[in-house]
Amino acid sequence: MIALDEYKGKVSPDWCPGCGNYSQLRAISMALSELNIKPEDAVISSGIGCSSNMPEYINVYGFHGLHGRLVPVAEGIKWANKNLTVIGYGGDGDGFFEGTQHFYHAAKRNVDITYIVSDNQVFGLTTGQASPTTPVGRITKDTPDGNIEPPFNPLHYALTAGATFVARALSGNIKSLANIIKAGIQHKGFSFIDVLSPCVTYNKINSYDFFRKTTYDMKDNNPKDFYEAYKLASMWGDQPNSIPTGILYDVQAPVYEDADVVLSKYNLKDTKPYQLKETDLEEFY
Amino acid sequence: MNDIIIRIGGSAGDGVQSSGLSLAKTLSRSGYYITTYNYYQSLIRGGQSWYQVRASDEVVKNQGSGLDILIALNEDALKRHTSKNINEGGASRLNGIAIFDDSMITNYEKYDDVKYYGVPLRDIALKYDTNPLLKNTVALGAVMAALNLDFSIYEQVIREIFSSKGKLIVANIGAAKEGYEYYKNNYKLYKNIKVEKKKLYMIDGGGAVGLGAINAGMQMYFAYPMTPASSVLQFFADHSKKFNVFLKITEDEISAINGAIGANYAGVRTMTGSSGGGFALMTEAVGMAAMTEVPLVIYEAQRPGPSTGLPTKTEQGDLNQILGAGQGDFPKIVLAPGNVTEAFNLTKEAFNLAEKYQLPVFVVSDLYLAEHIETVSFDLKYEMEHGLRAQDNDPNFKRYEFTKDGISKRAVPGQKGLMHNEDSDEHNELGEVVSDTITDPEQRRLSMEKRMRKLDVYLKNIPPTKTYKLDGAEYIIIQWGSTKGVVEESIDRLRDDGIMVGAIEIDHVYPMNHDIEKYIKNKKIIVVENNFSGQLNKLIKQEFLIDTKFVGKYDGEAFFPEQLENTLKNIIVGKPILEE
Repeated sequence: MIALDEYKGKVSPDWCPGCGNYSQLRAISMALSELNIKPEDAVISSGIGCSSNMPEYINVYGFHGLHGRLVPVAEGIKWANKNLTVIGYGGDGDGFFEGTQHFYHAAKRNVDITYIVSDNQVFGLTTGQASPTTPVGRITKDTPDGNIEPPFNPLHYALTAGATFVARALSGNIKSLANIIKAGIQHKGFSFIDVLSPCVTYNKINSYDFFRKTTYDMKDNNPKDFYEAYKLASMWGDQPNSIPTGILYDVQAPVYEDADVVLSKYNLKDTKPYQLKETDLEEFY
Repeated sequence: MNDIIIRIGGSAGDGVQSSGLSLAKTLSRSGYYITTYNYYQSLIRGGQSWYQVRASDEVVKNQGSGLDILIALNEDALKRHTSKNINEGGASRLNGIAIFDDSMITNYEKYDDVKYYGVPLRDIALKYDTNPLLKNTVALGAVMAALNLDFSIYEQVIREIFSSKGKLIVANIGAAKEGYEYYKNNYKLYKNIKVEKKKLYMIDGGGAVGLGAINAGMQMYFAYPMTPASSVLQFFADHSKKFNVFLKITEDEISAINGAIGANYAGVRTMTGSSGGGFALMTEAVGMAAMTEVPLVIYEAQRPGPSTGLPTKTEQGDLNQILGAGQGDFPKIVLAPGNVTEAFNLTKEAFNLAEKYQLPVFVVSDLYLAEHIETVSFDLKYEMEHGLRAQDNDPNFKRYEFTKDGISKRAVPGQKGLMHNEDSDEHNELGEVVSDTITDPEQRRLSMEKRMRKLDVYLKNIPPTKTYKLDGAEYIIIQWGSTKGVVEESIDRLRDDGIMVGAIEIDHVYPMNHDIEKYIKNKKIIVVENNFSGQLNKLIKQEFLIDTKFVGKYDGEAFFPEQLENTLKNIIVGKPILEE
């Protein structure tokens, strides 16, 4: 096990006190530390939003890109160097509005990356607009008469796309969150983790108390059963034990990098590029 | 220069393009330099398409004007290509022979300067196959006789093309031979150009970009299909296994460029490419590559816009888009090859520039350049320059160190002790964001200047601007990209008439080498480009504060030399060489 301190970034987070992102920062560090993944062998690709500032606060390689585009950057990194542990990290606005097509296709391809979304049901960095996971009726800064769009269900989306690992976790529960992230990183293929993460400033309803009351840890679900997972993914509510957390789905399927004719043979980062020879021009004679 | 221009006209589905390729290959192997021109639409069947091969004993710079031999595969083709204005604005017309099936086509207007050589294409074809498609092979056989070419070379080309379909080899050779004999027995030799047999390779601009990228050590290509950038995509699809290149067709162009940035960040040379419409989707990430200082080569093959525009036609209308792509000011380099050989060479250069200066570099092409074939010889010598790299565990490593030349050491994931953050937000030397909690105007100013300084260094090392026949030139043509060959030939023709013109050929378009100033002083400048508004023209005016004349073309076709010569002559001496 590598000491947790090794993952501590030089910059202190600028998140609001009490923000759900803090426990995710710690849980990701714990997972890397417990899995013995050296800081130089891990990369976090993030988008834009409060949560996406993560790469600065953790001592691994970080790429803080554009809003909604963290998944293709993560894929590019993974395909260039399969030896790296590549984690995509961003918010619900980032991943479920602008980034949906990338999320879908990465899941469908089963590329071996872990995609963690800090899902707080609101836009934080732009100060409180409705996000793709904002519930119907919710009054936000830009929905003064209440949100009329049904929320996006990221778990359904991931499952339908073909993700081979789908989980839901609660930000406040660090130990269990770290375990789920560990399982996600260890999973061979695309792993998706939706983290319910309270925004203490712009979402007073989906608070720690709300999630403590409504969520429960699944004990005896069968993560090989797609339809059971789909059903569990449908569960949401404001009553006790209405939102299941844990690993909903975990199956093995061919991984993109193993199926590709070039990537299956080479780790390109460690492979000398092809040397073009005069005889290669013969086909153009 | 002894040359011959041969055109095959027919409908989509007639095998116009494939027979054009066979003809080009046969001529090239016979020792001719060639160039081709492909006129087609987005159609699988029907419409009218044509394919032209110009062959010569000297290097061929463009598709040429006029026509020596026409193969008309249907009535419409015969009418169209024997009439006036065969080149949509070009002045000359067929002055030679038309090979067509006179048993099928009987109703046509006869022109004096055309010899109508009927060959029973269909009847001969049907002797060898149940499919009359072989009629184009019969016609090519006739062309071999018309030009006194070594038939065995064509025979060998047929063998290679149909190598997987044995029966078709025999049928095609039989049909070609009979076409050859028919012409010999009935018609006169048309032209016999003496050429020495030599080894020439022939490839299109897209293939040259692909080969150039391989030569430069590129290992990954990310793209979404879009004509005319697809010839590069296809090149990698065909050669992925041979050259160990990872090809990724992504869900959209945004993913393609972001993926390419991720891969380059991780230390593997990667390119992305598209045409104008797809590139429009990439623009935000171009700025990110510049901001994070990740090397990136972007291939942009232009077609006429706006919007979907003309998917199978050519134009140089994306310069403004490329120069303006991405919010804010940031360094980028724009290269524009003028022919297939330059496409190969500049692609190689682009990869080294991208790594050396850690910024986005564009290789700008267009449909004409990407899809026409030239005979070439490529110099494969290449030294990969990876630029500044940090050593593992360097205690003083600062990813964005404010150096004198603005270039800082890179580190890639996996390197020990160099963990850092690369950020699309404004950041300090360490890569720490300075946009959110700390707003520091001084920091921002220094970061901007650091990035922009890289171009000052680039401009000190930029190769001298290419010129063509500037001696004694009173008028100077300035061109960029694929108009190079046609401009050069127009200059040759004008000089033959005693009109002193020369050309400046801008292949390093942005930032621009100011050595041009010494050439343009006290000269009259004409900027020639394949677009409506004169996008380079405006850039030239802005850079050098000079007065210019602009010659544009925006009908979807490339310039033709006689047409350009005519226009230039009109501007320079006030009268056209040919009356319209």
